[in-house]
Amino acid sequence: MKQTPELDRIQELMQPGVISKDGFLGNDTRNLTDILADDQRIVTNLGFTHQELANAMEELTEVGKKAFGNPVLVRGFLEVTVDSSKGKMASPFGGLFDKENVVVVNKKTGESIRWTTLNIHMIRDHGFYEGKGSYFRVEPEDLVRVLELYVG
Amino acid sequence: MSVLITTSIITAIGVFLAALLTLAERFLLDYGICKITINGDKIYQVRGGNHLLGSLQEQDIFIPSACGGRGSCGLCKVKVLEGGGPLLPTETPYLTKEEIENHTRLACQVKVRNDIEILIPEELFSIREYEAKVVNFKDLTYDIKLISLQLKGDETIDFVAGQYVQLKIPVYGNIKEEVYRAYSIASPESNKKQIDLIIRRVPKGIATTYIFDYLKKGDTIFFNGPYGDFYLRDSQREIIYIAGGSGLAPIKSMLHKMIEEGIDRKATFFFGCVSGRDLYFVEEMKSFEEKLPNFKFIPALSNPNPEDNWLGETGLITEVVDRHISSDGDYEAYLCGSPGMINASIKVLRSKGIPEELIFYDKF
Amino acid sequence: MYINPIVIFFASIFTSNIVLTNFLGMCSYLAISRDLKSSWGLGQAVIFVMTITTILNYLVYKYILVPAELEYLRYIVFIIVVAAFVQLLEMVLERFMPGLYYTLGIFLPLITVNCAILGVALFMVIREYTFIQSLAYGAGGGIGWALAIVALAGIREKVDETKIPKGLQGPGFALIVTGIMAMAFIGLSGIANIQ
Repeated sequence: MKQTPELDRIQELMQPGVISKDGFLGNDTRNLTDILADDQRIVTNLGFTHQELANAMEELTEVGKKAFGNPVLVRGFLEVTVDSSKGKMASPFGGLFDKENVVVVNKKTGESIRWTTLNIHMIRDHGFYEGKGSYFRVEPEDLVRVLELYVG
Repeated sequence: MSVLITTSIITAIGVFLAALLTLAERFLLDYGICKITINGDKIYQVRGGNHLLGSLQEQDIFIPSACGGRGSCGLCKVKVLEGGGPLLPTETPYLTKEEIENHTRLACQVKVRNDIEILIPEELFSIREYEAKVVNFKDLTYDIKLISLQLKGDETIDFVAGQYVQLKIPVYGNIKEEVYRAYSIASPESNKKQIDLIIRRVPKGIATTYIFDYLKKGDTIFFNGPYGDFYLRDSQREIIYIAGGSGLAPIKSMLHKMIEEGIDRKATFFFGCVSGRDLYFVEEMKSFEEKLPNFKFIPALSNPNPEDNWLGETGLITEVVDRHISSDGDYEAYLCGSPGMINASIKVLRSKGIPEELIFYDKF
Repeated sequence: MYINPIVIFFASIFTSNIVLTNFLGMCSYLAISRDLKSSWGLGQAVIFVMTITTILNYLVYKYILVPAELEYLRYIVFIIVVAAFVQLLEMVLERFMPGLYYTLGIFLPLITVNCAILGVALFMVIREYTFIQSLAYGAGGGIGWALAIVALAGIREKVDETKIPKGLQGPGFALIVTGIMAMAFIGLSGIANIQ
């Protein structure tokens, strides 16, 4: 589906080698507008909003950050490790963000999920979870399952 | 006959419109020679129509920028007093309210369309681009490397211990445009021919992937600098250095300076790591302790492995700092590391009564 | 029958809306109606370009094509004129109104191929409008198009937050909404009619 020139420009910035080495789209060939619309639907069907998912991610990130790279146990079963790198990461939507990689392991199931500070911003402000196959793609279903988030 | 007339009329319309567009392009998009006045006294003549960042670079004036002028990093801020045109929607996400009010703009978005007057920090005039050869490449830990760059020809660089340079990462692999990344200088400021940088790998990073996987000893690389106002202040206060990861670099340069200039102020360097595999330059720091009788190096592991056989300090770096410094000392602090570590350290230092203006830091 | 230009102006906004009665300019109408801000940007650009190109095409048609008996070439000529004008407009805006260029300018290339623009020019010929009538029709057509896309965007922004059956999501739903909007606009047809 066609999209606005503004989204075209942003999608251009998401290509590999423009802002980040591998880009934000993975091997996703859909237009940005469709990626956004599809994820919006997935998140709505899960019973959440982008805001709620981003808040859950940010909360864990803030706790993990205080341990400077050490794992922290949250809610008794989530092991959160936040690793900071030098420099700032630019968002294709505009703005600069700290380079922080967050890994959360669910100790009950052994499953893990990964995200960055930039992911939180892109999810909260733009409903963008990155394209399918992208290294930093946050799969909404995985997020809800691993973090054991409940509606309401 | 009518075929000919038809064709010629259609051709005439086409030619007329094409000519109109060509003329328009010639006259509308030609801005002639424009004057750039910097800080009120320096005047440069440039060809109009290009972006301010590029036009300044042609005049050998380097504004720090990480993205290479695509409007995605928001670093190339300059104050445009006159002739910058209206603020563009591509700039607003990067500017705060105060910045908009004091006419700050992004140099990569402002086009030079007429005479223009700008303000930039005076020290940017001493920034130059250097061509250098990679003469040493060493693994310091599993994910941190030391690279030494020797300037080509008879070039020399003047910098102050604690400052940083921007490495130019060329086009490689699927990377289509050059990018710049900032790294602090770890070597002594007396060595004007060669600089050392300490670089930690960033997962999937454009620049560090190039440095770790593509760059080899003997290669040529470009950098510009020096930048930054993180340097050792002249005073008699006791110094607290705090660093984590590759944040050791500027501190090391400052320690070299203390040795070379015989500065024997009391100083303590707290170096925070997770486990033994993150520690490096321990021997060098030991030798610094011998040369500087009042200097103490305190590495701290927050989560040592059993095989580290760690006998030193354990705990988060902030806890270790808290244990070691008293609340009635006359301190001055220099911090380099992640924003999280710096913010937490500032809190501890403030609780010890150290005023904010005596805490200097270089946030990643 | 001579129709008052004022009647044409309002009729082309409400009762003979180019989108809702002729279904022209559908592709950008469907694609750019996901958020209000973009749709209003595009709407403004269409108003501007449609008004001016309709006049330009009127002049070209009346003073070049008709005297040379080349009316059948109007499709090609109109498109060339629209394309050239949009190009020129882009340059003028970039030079003299950079602010407007960045808000409006990104939508301009999209307009060159908006069939509503060509449609209005062709209707103007079929209906044998005078200069003033063409001006009213061009401006009204543009405003009507902008009204339709902004209204659709407003509805879609609301609807996006609810659950819709999979097969109807996106363009499917937009077309249904457009159909309902078209029916609603029929209710206004008592005001004036020009078709």
